[in-house]
Amino acid sequence: MQGKAAKNKKDTLNIVIVGCGKVGHTLTEHLIGEGHDITIVDVNDRVIRDTTEVFDVMGIRGNGASLSVLEEAGIDKADMIIAVTGSDELNLLCCTIAKKVGGDISAIARVRNPDYAEELVYLRQQLGLSMIINPELEAAKQIARILSRPEALTVSSFARGHAELLSFKIPSGNVLDGKSIMQLDGIFNFGYLVCAVDRAGKVSIPGGQFVLHAGDDITILANTRDGHRVFESLGMESRAVSSCMIIGGGKSSYYLGRQLLRQKMDVKIIEKDRLRCEELSALLPEAVVICGDGSDEALLKEEGIDSVESFVPLTGLDEENILLTLYAKKMPGLKTITKINRITFNDVIEGLDLGSVVYPKYITSETITAYVRAKQNTIGSNVETMYHLFDGQAEALEFHVEKDAPVVGVPLMNLKKKDNLLIACIGRKGKIIFPRGQDAIAAGDTVIVVTTHTGFNDISDILA
Amino acid sequence: MNMKSVSYILGWVLNIEAALMSLPLITSLIYNEGEGWAFAIVMAICALIGFLLTHKRPNNPNFRAREGFVATALSWIIMSFFGCLPFYFTGEIPRFIDALFETVSGFTTTGASILSDVESMSHCCMLWRCFTHWIGGMGVLVFLLAVLPMVGGTNMHLMKAESPGPVVGKLVPKVRYTARILYMLYVVLTILEFLLLMLGGMIPFEAICTAFGTAGTGGFGFRNDSFASFSGYIQWVVAIFMIIFGVNFNVYFLVFMKKFKQALRCEEMRWYLGIIAVASLLICANAYDAALTLEHNLRTSVFQVATIITTTGFATANFDVWPAFSRTLIVLLMFIGACAGSTGGGLKISRWVMSGKAMASYVGSFLHPRGVRKVRFEDKDVEDSTLHAIFVYFMGVFFIFTVSMLILALENMDLTSTFTAVAATFNNIGPGLNLVGPTCNFGFLSDLSKSVLIFDMLAGRLEVFPMLMLLYPPLWKEAYREHQRKQRRRDAMKR
Repeated sequence: MQGKAAKNKKDTLNIVIVGCGKVGHTLTEHLIGEGHDITIVDVNDRVIRDTTEVFDVMGIRGNGASLSVLEEAGIDKADMIIAVTGSDELNLLCCTIAKKVGGDISAIARVRNPDYAEELVYLRQQLGLSMIINPELEAAKQIARILSRPEALTVSSFARGHAELLSFKIPSGNVLDGKSIMQLDGIFNFGYLVCAVDRAGKVSIPGGQFVLHAGDDITILANTRDGHRVFESLGMESRAVSSCMIIGGGKSSYYLGRQLLRQKMDVKIIEKDRLRCEELSALLPEAVVICGDGSDEALLKEEGIDSVESFVPLTGLDEENILLTLYAKKMPGLKTITKINRITFNDVIEGLDLGSVVYPKYITSETITAYVRAKQNTIGSNVETMYHLFDGQAEALEFHVEKDAPVVGVPLMNLKKKDNLLIACIGRKGKIIFPRGQDAIAAGDTVIVVTTHTGFNDISDILA
Repeated sequence: MNMKSVSYILGWVLNIEAALMSLPLITSLIYNEGEGWAFAIVMAICALIGFLLTHKRPNNPNFRAREGFVATALSWIIMSFFGCLPFYFTGEIPRFIDALFETVSGFTTTGASILSDVESMSHCCMLWRCFTHWIGGMGVLVFLLAVLPMVGGTNMHLMKAESPGPVVGKLVPKVRYTARILYMLYVVLTILEFLLLMLGGMIPFEAICTAFGTAGTGGFGFRNDSFASFSGYIQWVVAIFMIIFGVNFNVYFLVFMKKFKQALRCEEMRWYLGIIAVASLLICANAYDAALTLEHNLRTSVFQVATIITTTGFATANFDVWPAFSRTLIVLLMFIGACAGSTGGGLKISRWVMSGKAMASYVGSFLHPRGVRKVRFEDKDVEDSTLHAIFVYFMGVFFIFTVSMLILALENMDLTSTFTAVAATFNNIGPGLNLVGPTCNFGFLSDLSKSVLIFDMLAGRLEVFPMLMLLYPPLWKEAYREHQRKQRRRDAMKR
């Protein structure tokens, strides 16, 4: 164990990715960008060829659960295996076998089937995996979070849910229009911090003199308790959404429906397939399940799209989701959230002004990237969470700081920090502190850093 | 066509060539030879052009397979062009076409020479001549990939275009480290041979030249009789190292990783060693010279078989005087070639084995018309697309070969000479038979024939397609149209 731990100090990890679908592809792209050595395994020769032509990775054709294939992929030298094939069982088997031959290799499996959803912790412990990810469940959680703050475009949670990172577009005529960051203290009478501003695609970390304009995408970190007050202070009506219409009855719809029902919301799910409808109504007896075509305008009207408060298209087709959102945006006051799985034309999607968009494949690769970074470092801190802000142009990272980290005990104003970086807040014993210059980071704190740099994996990376 | 990225790569190739020329320059200083000035001048020219082409990184990352092919082919052409200038400037090779032929022959590790008296050459030029083999053996672009960080798919496209073999694999996930490992193995093996030759009493300069020539499987001799006048020990060392450099370098990587079992399982290497053993024994029996010892006879046949199958082209005997069976066998070996992923040329063992198996499976399909049987090689299914590419490759070889032979026939030589002249250059071997045999040279050919053979050497080293791509009109038509369209769009934007 010791030897391996020392080895991990190196900057590049040897990672085997089994399954090269959309998640595998996105993951490869991100991890290659962080400089790791990647070997991909897939049964499909075509997929291997396409990926190896675009990225500098090694491709092995074969079944990732087979020992000889894993050996060929160099499992004995690998630091990590990530199984993201379409099959949950295959993913678990891959990881189990890799753990047997690879010694103390970290194994991450994607498991999506709701049948296992309740047993993920048990599975993870029993099989000795480092992480089990369920992108559909994570997407559903993210959607539910946004629905609880409908004015926000995205809501990310930090410090075990104690802090929230809210981003929203400044409407024209809002009090924020024309105000500088320094003047905001007059508007918000609670702890907050403006972390990043996206103006027409250019992301910056604003200083005190920065003047906000209508149309800017602004990201504010606040205590979760105060989240609603951000919008109240701005005169944006903060209404809790109490009803939701979901189109499509897939896995994410089930997870979302379950989550929203727990929050005592009215849930209506529209699904084409009769059998699936029956399953859903058995799984979620409190939900209204409608069997019909969600892309049928008449049906949507009949089911009350003009009275429902939120609308979430979750069909398997991105194009259909986008079209439904564009239709729903015509309804005044209707909150929509779009899930996009596959489509890569980010610029176009941004131009459509869809409002809140959720990308399950990014959630997966963010979670895994955060884990990989945490594994890379050794010097007294760990990446706990990581979010990409504004299409990856900025990152928000949460570090857990141990006592031997070089930043401990030094007042922040005395730290020589890099530019374009913000120590956004400190979580200490369940409390959120928005630090001033005199404050210092203590051992055991979680520190949230927002930056336009990429690749931070240790709290000491903030130092210039 | 993304010419900016291509010229950026060309610029780096020139920079590297300038750096590599410091070796002959140092040699000229050691031996106090006046010819060094030519290298200094060419170095300056290369570095200047290289600097101009590389001082700005291209901002368009779009690097497709076609750019890889074009960049590779052009790299080899300009590398040969600048590489031949020192020979020309010093007057050691007075005619430009001859100097170019000699240099291309060096870089492509052919070893066919136009010089009739090599012993009169200056040390620095001789070293450069042998050093070109070493550079060309592993490939200058592979070297470039090892030292220069490239973005995205660029590196794989370059590696694919330059490395020999039907499928180009990696040793480790990143191209950069794969290239480094390859060069590391290459350097270590070269030094090992150099030391063993020194032990046999060779003088350092000759040992360096021999090691360069063997490592790249090149074959330029520095004595007029090639290797005939060296001791038996040295002949054995050279023969064994020729065989070693003809093996797929993946095998050495596996040995390096202590995976001996996997290394021994390499099917291509087994075929390769088997063919060498059988051919050596056959030739030994057929061309047995009773006046010499058995060891000498065996050594001569092993050396000649090794030199031809690895496409090196050294010689310890004039195989042109052997019986017809041995001579025919030598010609056949020319077409077999070494292993894929080695420094050797030729058509490659793996291609022959795979196509042989494909043929067997095709014949078998008449026995069981509905039978399904996949061709397997190295314990793996061979994709139909790979087989297809192999057959197309054979057709490409056949086509270039035929046209080249037809043009060479204008020389009015005998058929054997014409045929083996093309075979020996196209397969990067060096000596052929009759008029171009081991004791003769290519100097007497016309300029047209030399130009054709220059093309053949390059086409052979780069495995046909990069050179054919360069001559493929639609590529340039499309590149031109692309350029025009961009121009028009830029104009439209302005308006």
